Amino acid sequence: MPGFIVRHAKLFILLALFLVMFWLVTFQVKAGRLTFMEGPVLAISGFFERVFTAPFRFVGSAANHYVFRVRTSRENDRLKQELDRLRLENSITNELLIENERLREVLGFAKLRPLSSVMAQVIAKDSSPSSRTMIVDHGTTHGIEKDMAVITAAGVVGKVQTSLPGTAKVLLLTDPGSTLAVRVQRNREEGLLEGKLDRCALKYVSYYADIQEGDLLVTSGLDGIYPKGLPVATVVKVSKHEATAFQTVIAKPAVGLSRLEEVLVLTK
Amino acid sequence: MKTRTYLAILLVIIPVQASLFSPLSLAGIKPDLAIALIYIIGLLTGPTEACLAGMAVGLVQDIGSASLLGMNATTLGLAGVGAGYLGRRVLDIASPMNVIFLASFSLMQGLVISLFLQTFYGAVPFFSLLITRLVPEAVYTGLLGTFLLRFMNRRNVMSLLMRRSLLKE
Repeated sequence: MPGFIVRHAKLFILLALFLVMFWLVTFQVKAGRLTFMEGPVLAISGFFERVFTAPFRFVGSAANHYVFRVRTSRENDRLKQELDRLRLENSITNELLIENERLREVLGFAKLRPLSSVMAQVIAKDSSPSSRTMIVDHGTTHGIEKDMAVITAAGVVGKVQTSLPGTAKVLLLTDPGSTLAVRVQRNREEGLLEGKLDRCALKYVSYYADIQEGDLLVTSGLDGIYPKGLPVATVVKVSKHEATAFQTVIAKPAVGLSRLEEVLVLTK
Repeated sequence: MKTRTYLAILLVIIPVQASLFSPLSLAGIKPDLAIALIYIIGLLTGPTEACLAGMAVGLVQDIGSASLLGMNATTLGLAGVGAGYLGRRVLDIASPMNVIFLASFSLMQGLVISLFLQTFYGAVPFFSLLITRLVPEAVYTGLLGTFLLRFMNRRNVMSLLMRRSLLKE
C-alpha cells in the first residue's frame, strides 16, 4: 500500500489539493467569503491596471478634447438647451424639497441629509468569470471607504468592497455575492435583490405579491448603504411555482454595467 | 515553463484580463485569458504542471475578484489536467482542433460555475446566461487562445518561456 502511494504521489497530492479547494468553497458558502491577501493583490493589480490603461486614457482624452472638436459647436447648442431645461426642473425640485423639509418638520421626521460624492474612473472590469467586479482609480485618499454606494445618473452600480489609497474594488450588483434591499416603485412591495452574473433575482417575494414585467425596482434604503429611491433594475421575467411560497423574479440592471467609464461614489 | 514565466503570469493575469482586454469586449463579451493560458500550458507541459498552474492562477483570480476562494482554482486546475492529457495523447500545438477544444473547456468552466451558483444560491437564469454569455464567450476565448498558441509556437517565443528540458522534448 505505501509503495502504491509513493508511486502515485503526484496524483495523490493533486487530489488532496482539489479536495482542499472544494472544502474551501463549500466552507465559504456557509461562513461567507474569505478576504485572505485581498489588499496586496488589489494593490499590485491596481498599479498595473493604472499603468496599462494610462496610454488609452491619454489618447481617449486627447481625441475628445482636441481631435474631435468638429462636433463641439453642435454639442454646445444641445447642452445649452439641456441646461435651460435642467435649471427649470431644478427650481421646481428645490421648491418640492423645501416643502418636503417643512412637512417633515411638522410631522417630526428626521431631516434629510444632503449626499456628497466623489467621481472615479473605471480602470478595470471583470477579472474572473465567476464574479462581477470593477476597479476604480480613487480610494481611501479621496474619502472612499468599504461599503459606500456606487452609482451613475442611470441608477445603482454596486458598493465598494475594498478600498486602498489609490484604488478601490467595487462589487457590482450582478455579482453573486451582492445583495440589495429594494422595493417595487409601483406598489412598494419589498424584496432582496441578489446578483446572478448578468441579471439579478428578487428573493423572498411572496407568491401573492403583484409583480409584473417592466416594473422598476428602486432602493428601499433599509440596508443602510444605498439612499432610498435610486433606480436599480427593471423586472424582465416573473415565474410562479405552486410548490413554493415565493415567486422567481428576474431583473435587468438599470445601468449598462459593461459600458461604464465613470461612476459616482457616495461618500456620505 | 520557466519559473519567471509563471511569476509574470501570476503578477499580470488580473490587470491584463481586467483592463487590457476591456477594449476587446464585443457587446460586453470578452475572451477569458486565464483559461486560454492554462490550456496552452497544458498542451506544452502536461497535466501535473498545468493543474498546479491552473490552481495558482485561479487562486490569484479568486483573491483579486469577488469569487469564493477556490472556485476558479478548482475549475482552472481541472482544465489544466484536461488540457495536459489532450496535449499528451491527442493534440499537437498546431492542430486547428484547438479552437474547438479550448471553446469547449471555456464553456465547461462557465457551466460548472453556473451550476454551482444555481445549487447553492438558486434562481440563476441558466438558459439566458448560456445563450447570451457562456457560448459567445467560449467561442471568443477559443479564437483568442488559438491565436496565442500560433504566436507562441514560434521557436524564439517558446525558448523565452520554456525550460530547456521541455524544449528538447
